Amino acid sequence: MTIIETKNLTYTYPGGTKPSINGVSIKVKKGEFVLITGPSGCGKTTLCRCFNGLVPHFYQGELKGEITVAGMDPTTHETHAMAKSVGLVFQNPENQLFALSVEKDVAFGLENLGMPREEMRERVEWALKLTDIHDLRERSPHEVSGGQQQRVAIAAVLAMQPEIIVLDEPTSFLDPLSAEKIFEVIHELNKEHGITVVLVEHRLDLTAKYADHIIIMDEGKVCFDGNPREILNTEETRLIGVGIPKATLLYHILKKEGLKLGDVTPLSSEEMAKLLQEAFKIK
Amino acid sequence: MSVFDGLKFRKVYSPIHNLDPRMKFVYVCAMFVAAIIFGELIPLIALFLMPIPFVVLAGVQKEWLRSLRGAAFLAGFIFIINVATSFFYSGNVLTAVDVENAAAMTLRFVVLVESFSVFFLTTSPDHLGLALEQSRVPYEFAFAFTTAVRFVPVLAEEAQTIMDAQKARGLELEKGGILKRIRNYVPILIPLIVSAIRRSLELAEAMESRAWGATKKRTNLYALRLRRGDFALLAITVGLLVVAVYVRLYVPIPAVTQFL
Ligand SMILES: Nc1ncnc2c1ncn2[C@@H]1O[C@H](COP(=O)(O)OP(=O)(O)OP(=O)(O)O)[C@@H](O)[C@H]1O
Ligand SMILES: [Mg+2]
Repeated sequence: MTIIETKNLTYTYPGGTKPSINGVSIKVKKGEFVLITGPSGCGKTTLCRCFNGLVPHFYQGELKGEITVAGMDPTTHETHAMAKSVGLVFQNPENQLFALSVEKDVAFGLENLGMPREEMRERVEWALKLTDIHDLRERSPHEVSGGQQQRVAIAAVLAMQPEIIVLDEPTSFLDPLSAEKIFEVIHELNKEHGITVVLVEHRLDLTAKYADHIIIMDEGKVCFDGNPREILNTEETRLIGVGIPKATLLYHILKKEGLKLGDVTPLSSEEMAKLLQEAFKIK
Repeated sequence: MSVFDGLKFRKVYSPIHNLDPRMKFVYVCAMFVAAIIFGELIPLIALFLMPIPFVVLAGVQKEWLRSLRGAAFLAGFIFIINVATSFFYSGNVLTAVDVENAAAMTLRFVVLVESFSVFFLTTSPDHLGLALEQSRVPYEFAFAFTTAVRFVPVLAEEAQTIMDAQKARGLELEKGGILKRIRNYVPILIPLIVSAIRRSLELAEAMESRAWGATKKRTNLYALRLRRGDFALLAITVGLLVVAVYVRLYVPIPAVTQFL
């Protein structure tokens, strides 16, 4: 079942000279883990803003083409109506938390929806447990670490029980270890709870292994769209400046040098290690 | 960072901190009324002493003394003005009664400051924000208040970072005359304002994405509920008002100078 579909989506910010996204047509299936990547300024964030209607409601300007997200058209539904189905998590954890305690922040969206208190309590507890920040609930959001703040932001979105979570470079302010933890949380939400995940990321080393589907953008256009193992193995992706996982690069080089390796392109160091073990066993 | 430490708030638990802020506010208003209806020194001394048990229960003696010290300058000023006025008014003579009246006026001011400071010293910002949310104040104001509290330390830290960065580039803040010094702060203010605007845009975006404005009937994770302490405070407040009005109407208040 398709949950996000865009046809020929084109958008220019007010005052902009050229479109920030240009003729984007993509399809995302329900329950998928989609990775969007591409060089800086290629329009990834802009595309994410389309998913819940920040573009065009918040940013104004004209959006051309068709878009359907969770059965709704974000151009005609207000962002707060989309918020129940699509949750956005942003880059800077500090600027998306506003309350004076973690649990109050997680409840913010539910309060806005006017949910009764008992139900809200349950949802907040549930979201705090899933993201493993239950101990922090009475702390002030600016007194916890960046990684924890980002988990609060995820919990806040999660509490609204959306069908889709869109995360725009959620770890670019974090160290690799906290980043890995965040990705594990996201992976679990996708696998265990069936939430569709759209993740914008540069660090493919850490994330490619989770993806069912990868979309690579360049200069506002989609240039690759499909299975990560096939796409990351091509020469062209490297030329655009996509951060191909090191394991995939190594596989590529070794294969070119004539080493007999399995046919499945590895996306993480664990997969690469397995391939090498098998290769040496045969010899 | 020490300059900005005062801006951070700590969560403190004490019987006074746990009181409903709305009730505390009513109490402060009652103190105000009482301080206004008395111009005599003796009842004002009583009013001045009244908050002390609260201060001790809340364990904020140090902060309380600091706020009194802060008011001391203005209090001294009020005292001198009052004494001087009656001195010149009555033809360059100063009686003990004049001094007592001046002292009473000063003490009235101190009582006003004192009750306000006790309120703010014992009410955490999130409690206050909650009280705002659950009174008739529009939610936007309550939200603006809590967000401001939340971001003051962040902006303060940022100001410090920018200051350090500009100093490292050779900006000398403490140099020149007063005008030059004010101008020195421009390279700090501009980046600070720009970043605050960017921050507020990102905040607005995040709020929209979390269903801001979905319904007029917002609910709240926490409920403020009146408990036993709050009713005790209410009794004290009512008692204070009743006694104050009764004394004002039916009891002749002696001046301190009569006993001398
Ligand atoms: N608020 C805005 N107003 C005007 N133009 C914008 C705005 N935000 C982005 N742009 C422009 O749109 C284009 C795409 O930007 P976008 O932020 O979507 O890229 P991105 O792929 O997310 O980049 P990055 O990896 O750096 O986050 C850029 O050329 C940028 O200058
Ligand atoms: Mg971006």
